Amino acid sequence: MKSSAQRVLAVAALAVVDLYRRRDLFVALILAAVVVLPLLSFQFFGMSGIVRYLGEVTLLLVWIFSVAIGVGVAARQIQSEIESRTIFPLLAKPVKRAEILLGKFLGAFAATGSAVVLFYLCFLALFVLKGGGGVNWAIWGQALLFHLLFVLVLTALTLLVSLILTPSATLTICTLVTGGMLLFGETLAGFAAKMPWFLAWLGWGVHALAPHMEFFDLRRQLVHGWPPVELSVSLAVAGYALCYSGVLLLFATVVFQRKKL
Amino acid sequence: MCGGRAGESVFMDAIQIQKVSKQYPGGAQALDGLDLTVRQGEVFGFLGMNGAGKTTTIKMLLGFFPPTYGELKVLGGDPLDSATRRRIGYMPEVANYYGYLSVRELLCFYGRICGMPRSEIRRRSDELVELVGLQDAGRKQLKNFSKGMMQRAGIAQALLHDPELLILDEPLTGLDPLARIQLRDIIVMLKKAGKTVFFSSHELSEAELICDRVGILKNGKLCCCGSITEIAGDGAGNLERIFLRHIQEGIGAP
Repeated sequence: MKSSAQRVLAVAALAVVDLYRRRDLFVALILAAVVVLPLLSFQFFGMSGIVRYLGEVTLLLVWIFSVAIGVGVAARQIQSEIESRTIFPLLAKPVKRAEILLGKFLGAFAATGSAVVLFYLCFLALFVLKGGGGVNWAIWGQALLFHLLFVLVLTALTLLVSLILTPSATLTICTLVTGGMLLFGETLAGFAAKMPWFLAWLGWGVHALAPHMEFFDLRRQLVHGWPPVELSVSLAVAGYALCYSGVLLLFATVVFQRKKL
Repeated sequence: MCGGRAGESVFMDAIQIQKVSKQYPGGAQALDGLDLTVRQGEVFGFLGMNGAGKTTTIKMLLGFFPPTYGELKVLGGDPLDSATRRRIGYMPEVANYYGYLSVRELLCFYGRICGMPRSEIRRRSDELVELVGLQDAGRKQLKNFSKGMMQRAGIAQALLHDPELLILDEPLTGLDPLARIQLRDIIVMLKKAGKTVFFSSHELSEAELICDRVGILKNGKLCCCGSITEIAGDGAGNLERIFLRHIQEGIGAP
């Protein structure tokens, strides 16, 4: 058990080192600057009334960047190992495919999660610097936690899809599904109810199976300073993220075990 | 069957391949009823033309996929079992490792994968980096290594966990003369230490120098197997001539 954990952590650490050495983190920092600079310039012109609107735009950018980084990092975890053939010396070692997959998942999650934390820290620093009122730590913490849960699901989904489709198809499908659910996930059930019966079944099917990324989106609460989501709801969302990621990882393990190399 | 010895314990054999066939999904037959035994402590050269089935055999010996038919055992165990792979060292034909790591970081990563303690990883890394002549590489990332240096790093990672059996896929390809001599010396040293070395190669002159026995694979079948003297038979000659004779004429197994 201990050596299994050691193997999983070694693979996970490799993904994080990969992120740093490939200078992906610098890209994340540049993206963070892109997020930060508009706020600074508006402060320069003394347009404090626009802070809330800018906060909304900034958070949208944070979400877009986190999807881009999350999908990009997770999609290349196994695919690049196969393409560059580094998978062969690795599989020749006493490591199970499930351990490699779990390590890759944890590594991709840690890499993307650290970028998300960085974005939130930048956003928080600007919020404080611009005098955006007292910081509601509860909603800030909750928004970050929910965003990390989102990254968890996104990473598991991308890892699974990357084992089935080509890298470019993985990027396209995962970005579309995530974007689609963030935009329309909330209204999917309503759409389904208004459809003819056969389309309604399809709609309900998608509603039941698709990853409800919108559950993790607390941008409105954060921007408008609303109170935090109730603990019971938070626990339900966390449970959903863990269960959904677990099922995706289970499928990914089966696919990876059967994958011909 | 090549190499089996009646009456001896099966544990004397490092590799046992019995009537193994491999058919790929597209219908291509990579191996066709291959029988081969490699004894513990010997250096075995697995020779053949491109596409003969050497790499497929090696991949099955490492548990990358199972055979379509037949049975194979490595060190008495199933290569699909990770405990068996703990006792095997492997160097792939195309030496591709994580380009963003240094050679010591690579060895540290593989050492952790093998469940080695950190102190042991450090000790073995120092030994191996010196053995393969990469002590000057320092923090240089693997992506900046030459092909020969990558092969050396590959040898170091294969030897890291002190395996009983070493499987090398075309280890001499791309090496300069000095590196070839060094690798040859390493193989001889491993043999003296009681390790089994199984390697595929096109380099017949090198194989002739270091192998106790060789097997020649043709179209997924073993067309001859034994020591150079044994397989030369009446027609004397070096391994190159023997190889050409078997490949061109397709002489059946002895």
